[in-house]
Amino acid sequence: MTQQHASYGAVHGPPTGEITRRSFMRRVLGVGVGLLSLEFLGGTLAFLWPNLTEGLGSQITLGSADDINNQAPEWQNGLPFVYNQANLFFVNVPAAKARVAENSGGQVTSDVSLPVPDPGADVDPDIAPEDRSVMALWRKCPHLGCQVPQLCDRSEWFECLCHGSKYTVIGEKRDGPAPRGMDRFEVLVENGVYIVDTRQVISGPPPTVMTFDKRTASDITEHCVG
Amino acid sequence: MTIEKRPNATADKNVPTQAPERAPIIAPGVGPKLPGPPGVPGTERFRLLAYVKQESMVRVDKRPDETVLTWPHLLRAEFLMAMLITALLVVTSVFITAPLEEMANPSVTPHVAKAPWYFLGLQELLSYFNPTVAGVLIIPVYLGGLLIIPYVDRTPYKAVRDRKMIWIFFLCIMVGGLIVTFIGSFFRGPGWNWVWPWDGLYFNL
Amino acid sequence: MSNGNGGNPVVRWVKESAAWRSLFRQPYPSTSRTRALAVMNNVFLHLHPVRVKRHAVRYTYTFCLGGISFFLFLVLTVTGLYLMFFYVPSISRAYQDIQAIEASVAFGSLVRNMHRWAAHLMVLTVFLHMIRVFYHGAYKPPREFNWVVGVLLLFFTLALSFTGYLLPWDQIAFWAITVGTQMATYAPLLSNESAFFMLGGIEVGQGTLLRFYVAHVIFFPLIAAIFMIVHFWRIRKDGGISGPV
Repeated sequence: MTQQHASYGAVHGPPTGEITRRSFMRRVLGVGVGLLSLEFLGGTLAFLWPNLTEGLGSQITLGSADDINNQAPEWQNGLPFVYNQANLFFVNVPAAKARVAENSGGQVTSDVSLPVPDPGADVDPDIAPEDRSVMALWRKCPHLGCQVPQLCDRSEWFECLCHGSKYTVIGEKRDGPAPRGMDRFEVLVENGVYIVDTRQVISGPPPTVMTFDKRTASDITEHCVG
Repeated sequence: MTIEKRPNATADKNVPTQAPERAPIIAPGVGPKLPGPPGVPGTERFRLLAYVKQESMVRVDKRPDETVLTWPHLLRAEFLMAMLITALLVVTSVFITAPLEEMANPSVTPHVAKAPWYFLGLQELLSYFNPTVAGVLIIPVYLGGLLIIPYVDRTPYKAVRDRKMIWIFFLCIMVGGLIVTFIGSFFRGPGWNWVWPWDGLYFNL
Repeated sequence: MSNGNGGNPVVRWVKESAAWRSLFRQPYPSTSRTRALAVMNNVFLHLHPVRVKRHAVRYTYTFCLGGISFFLFLVLTVTGLYLMFFYVPSISRAYQDIQAIEASVAFGSLVRNMHRWAAHLMVLTVFLHMIRVFYHGAYKPPREFNWVVGVLLLFFTLALSFTGYLLPWDQIAFWAITVGTQMATYAPLLSNESAFFMLGGIEVGQGTLLRFYVAHVIFFPLIAAIFMIVHFWRIRKDGGISGPV
């Protein structure tokens, strides 16, 4: 090729497949600038990543079971404790199940073995987290983020005002447009004191999960919403 | 215009390919042949005549009334429009106050929580479909669909009958978007239940 | 230089001074030549070609929608700048600042209202502009890329409006942004992590307000302005606005 006379309109440069020093340098430069841009992007993301030290997004100490009972006496009767600073429902699971069973007119039966929250049992590694006696449910509706109000006293469900999503007392979705059950957080127990770890949000169960309170929306005659 | 063309050694010299169809073509070989570089066979030059299609804005046959001067014609139109919009804005702003409700309170959810009006169509659709499906389908179809319109519709024709498919797509997302935005804006109340506008308007600008 | 100055010696002195002539390099544009020069030699008017197609100045061809959108962007920049003097993006102060702007700043209520209504109007005119451009098939070659730039500008307009929507920190703002950002997490490639990044936290709060403020007053306006420059430049490079259908 090099012997032939260069003609009009010919591509100046090497034929495809051949790397000259010039094209090699150009590619190195391109890759270098690309890498630099990626590093800049990554650094920017890291720099701007939220750095949370308090409130939702950190570890929150709720207090012992007695502390909570003192603040909200209905907690031991099954009404979820509303912890406003971190937008949580702290559910006393056995008591809540008993409460629902009692108020459902026989539609729900509860076979709860733990009578009251037992911080000792809650740290037992043999008990799966979902079977422990307390739950920290996030009050943010997984549909579009509205705040979920306190348990509706007619249906014993959480009924979101915004778009009518409905959840059982342990956060399983039963009705409405939400894609899953209520999101929740891990609860740790240290020396009998409950600590909610809100650094990691645990997504709620899929809408098909039914472990407790298997009523459908039509089973219930009166709702608070819709 | 004269073009000097040098076909390479393997090409058929008898076909002057680049000339437009209607252009009178001087048959190959009619023009004077010129010698190519020494020692390379088959590189003789020949000349041909061709019409080149005019593409620039400066037409030879330009009629005198095809364009107008920017100053004053375009600038006057722009100035008048700017004044009209300014007047409209000032009058609107004097008489209609922007909404301001009570201070934000995360622990008090209003009975109706609506996104800004341009997202209400999406919010309405999210109440029909599983949000994951709706999100996966609607947002990319809308934004991505708009982006690729010029790369899908490659014909040069602009009349409606010549680009039916793209019109149907565009009308679907525009009219569909308009309808669901309207429903979401004016026909949805507490619990995202259907509410006629005369029974209560749940809409903020 | 003495066209129409009459005999007024002050006017003549001003117009013949070196300072005046350095500012205005030619007499008032009243002939075709000086009118062409006025457009060509001015950096702002140079956005336009010297001559435009006759149909391009018809109101009923463009309805001036693109121009109105750009003008509204300018109005929003000015009114937004004014509002910044009286606004602190803190959840304990923002709402009171808005109340103070409405109650005690001279013309404060007018400026805030103009900013809000111009913002809504701009979203509308950008949409209508896109529909107009589609109707005329103005995305056809060689204007494909400018259509893409335009769709991105629509996106930036929505982003500007959305980030500004939170700033009054009232109930409308708070819940609209809560719902809006939650919807965004359903989009592909966006997840809880991206919502966490956007909000500067798990829920709408101080981090969100500051983030949205910075995005609203500098990030998105800058990006939108850069894309507008490209948009206008490409209109000229692609041979002015498109012809009728």
